[in-house]
Amino acid sequence: MVQQVSPAKVDREQLRRQISKKYTDVALDPGKGFHFHTGRPLAMMLGYDPRDVDRLPASTVASFAGTGNPFSMGRLNTGEMVVDVGCGAGFDTLQGAMQVGPSGRLIAVDMTAAMREKTRAGAAEGALGNVEVRDGYAEDLPVEDACVDVVISNGVINLTPDKVGAMAEVYRVLKPGGRFQIGDIVVHREVPQDAKDDIDLWSG
Amino acid sequence: MLSHVGFREVRWGRQVDVFSGSKHESDAKEFDTRGVTFAGVKPT
Repeated sequence: MVQQVSPAKVDREQLRRQISKKYTDVALDPGKGFHFHTGRPLAMMLGYDPRDVDRLPASTVASFAGTGNPFSMGRLNTGEMVVDVGCGAGFDTLQGAMQVGPSGRLIAVDMTAAMREKTRAGAAEGALGNVEVRDGYAEDLPVEDACVDVVISNGVINLTPDKVGAMAEVYRVLKPGGRFQIGDIVVHREVPQDAKDDIDLWSG
Repeated sequence: MLSHVGFREVRWGRQVDVFSGSKHESDAKEFDTRGVTFAGVKPT
């Protein structure tokens, strides 16, 4: 189903800056309009339980951007240690924190400061003391080896030029027997190399 | 790629035409781009 693709030749630091700028806008001005869907309509399209969405702060929901629903592959268990790679506004982080409960822990990692702040604010509003927000990248997670029960992520791996490296980081931080549940995108027609190398197409 | 990294029991969920109706729709359709959720396990 998924083709093995040749890597893109993009400047990683430039790409990170451009993506971070885009997602700062999603955090601070979610009604601006983007090339992808956002907010509650997107969540309903992806099959999230409306009751779960209703429990989240409105500002968290408004800035939601994703491509799948990690919880469609199974809910988290009480007490689990979870990492959300590219947590964005905290839409999945906060739901996960509610699922694992006070005895569990959510480490939310994002490279965009405005998104990290949004996740922190959402966790505070929801009185979720089991959420910790960290600055970091998918390809270099600020998490120790083999200490995590579950890695979740949503719409992030496709934004990394080194997808194998990002998934190797997921593997590194998981305990043996740990699992990942990731929403992302797949393409069914090959993307030409010149399109893959066009940094503007990565972040819209 | 996932099995190459070492994951096992990889499962794929339903695919969603996640860019339908968005500004990105025409680009997404060109490459038949879909949102998808997948899962896997690190072996013990």
